[in-house]
Amino acid sequence: MAKYEEIQVHGYEEFCKAVSERRGKDIFAYFSGDKDDQGKSWCPDCVKAEPVVRGQLAHLPAGSVFLYCLVGARPYWKDPNNEFKKTLKLTGVPTLLRYGTPQKLVEEECFKADLVRMMFTED
Amino acid sequence: MAAFRRGCARWQQVRFLGARAPGRTFAGTHHYDLVVIGGGSGGLACSREAAQLGQKVAVLDHVQPSARGTAWGLGGTCVNVGCIPKKLMHQAALLGVAMDDAGKFGWSIPGPVSHDWSTLAQAVQNYVKSLNWGHRVQLQDRKVKYFNTRGSLLDRHTVRGLDAKGTEMTLTARNIVIATGGRPRYPTHVPGAREFGITSDDLFWLKESPGKTLVVGASYVGLECAGLLAGIGLDASVMVRSVALRGFDQQMAQLVTGHMEARGTRFHWGCVPTSVEKLPSGLLQVKWTEVRSDLERVEREDTFSSVLWAIGRVPETTGLNLPQVGVQLHPDTGKIVVATDERTTVSNVYAIGDVAEGRPELTPTAVKAGKLLARRLAGQSNQLMDYHSVPTTVFTPLEYGCVGLSEESAESRYGKDNIEVYHAFYKPLEFTIAERDASHCYVKVVCDRAGVQRVLGLHFTGPSAGEVIQGFAVSVRCGLTYAQLRDTVGIHPTCAEELTKIHITKRSGLDATVTGC
Repeated sequence: MAKYEEIQVHGYEEFCKAVSERRGKDIFAYFSGDKDDQGKSWCPDCVKAEPVVRGQLAHLPAGSVFLYCLVGARPYWKDPNNEFKKTLKLTGVPTLLRYGTPQKLVEEECFKADLVRMMFTED
Repeated sequence: MAAFRRGCARWQQVRFLGARAPGRTFAGTHHYDLVVIGGGSGGLACSREAAQLGQKVAVLDHVQPSARGTAWGLGGTCVNVGCIPKKLMHQAALLGVAMDDAGKFGWSIPGPVSHDWSTLAQAVQNYVKSLNWGHRVQLQDRKVKYFNTRGSLLDRHTVRGLDAKGTEMTLTARNIVIATGGRPRYPTHVPGAREFGITSDDLFWLKESPGKTLVVGASYVGLECAGLLAGIGLDASVMVRSVALRGFDQQMAQLVTGHMEARGTRFHWGCVPTSVEKLPSGLLQVKWTEVRSDLERVEREDTFSSVLWAIGRVPETTGLNLPQVGVQLHPDTGKIVVATDERTTVSNVYAIGDVAEGRPELTPTAVKAGKLLARRLAGQSNQLMDYHSVPTTVFTPLEYGCVGLSEESAESRYGKDNIEVYHAFYKPLEFTIAERDASHCYVKVVCDRAGVQRVLGLHFTGPSAGEVIQGFAVSVRCGLTYAQLRDTVGIHPTCAEELTKIHITKRSGLDATVTGC
């Protein structure tokens, strides 16, 4: 049995739906720019951070959720009024956050494996 | 120094603990250049600086829950149950006053304005939690090892950590810094005090409004708490045994409390609580004695939703095992005795912040002392912390900012005839249309009467007192004289400019009310 659940969503609506279906769970959400047909994101920092974050998934607490969210295309992201920025208060991609808590790692912070592991393993 | 840090074999030895308590797991021994016990303002600043200078550093932080069960994360008193939540809630109260004024400035606010505690509390708590996280990330990033454990000294080079699960570990350290701060004091002879009362440790974490509150104690903690509670529309009273803001300039203290009384906060002067009981309704019945004189004492009582003890703070030294290791505590205060370089009576053990004897109980002094200590321990500097002319501000409804000596301290140090006190009652422009009572807005400059008339102390009650005083504190440190103050052009229209225009002396007996532009 998997220690944690991984779910992938695309866009704000799907994100909200996934969260609402998992009330009460410890949700770690990772936000990345969309990927092209070759699986490469328009966001170079996201390309760099993803293997680092994925490398630490084994440390996720049992019963938690890893919610992988593609936010959208570059123009959508650049719009300061997009729902992720307005409602979730995201300031950049990649962002790794623990839903419902102030715990988050933004951009270069996601490159640091020890910070990612710290978020997954400490209260 | 480098050889000492890296090569010395004896520091690498595993130290035996002797008899270990049964049922505890042991997580090993580690060696550090510096171990800091306490992750508050002083501890974090010291450890971060030391790590930046290449030292191997560990911080132990652990919060003993309050009597009510309140606990919090990394960052110490300031972040969690002091400066930060206090100032945010004070701001909430100031916004209430602003809304009262708004109508006169043309705003139409439909209907009565009400305040919801839960909205405020949640916003404050969320912000504080983001600071806990920010500190955690910073420590990790700066390569400071962090343990959420309760530290104590086994010997002068060995710190023992015990976490909530009972896991024990030891750290060996070349130097140790104790920065464990303090906690609110409970009265010892008042039945029901601990059981039914709260303190500043609990206030900012309450999920529901404290309601009608009795604040016992007129320290700045007491007055600030009563002030913000009254400001958000709650019935707040203050019980004072003798004087308010002990240690501060007493004329200024009276202006602060005078303003609060004028705005509806009830003060019970000369009163001491005798008991607190919980009624079937859930309300608290408080009985107290009003001491009118040695012969006349009147018994009084009233009911409140909350009783908040603000009668002082005690240093957090129990359980640290200090006397056994040779670290001396002050016989009256219980704080750790320190020298000018923050060293305790054990040469490699230091203490900074609220836990150290004779130090201001302020965040900025703990932070600066911590940084300077780290630099000295790393061999980078000899600079000692300068505790003179530390500015401070009391964030009561009418704020009071000051730097330097109180009038009474200056009088006792220099003699009444050898000081000149300039003063003025002024009216902030913003109070005019708002028809606000400015009778407690006042500035006072205490000078040495001789020669260039060096400024010994600056005192200001009024809006944004902290912002006003900060810059003047720089000038006082540079040896500000009365002439330099008067030669400085004021910024108009502000309250701060009154400090540059001040010219009536107390000695002259003239009316000190500022008139006109």
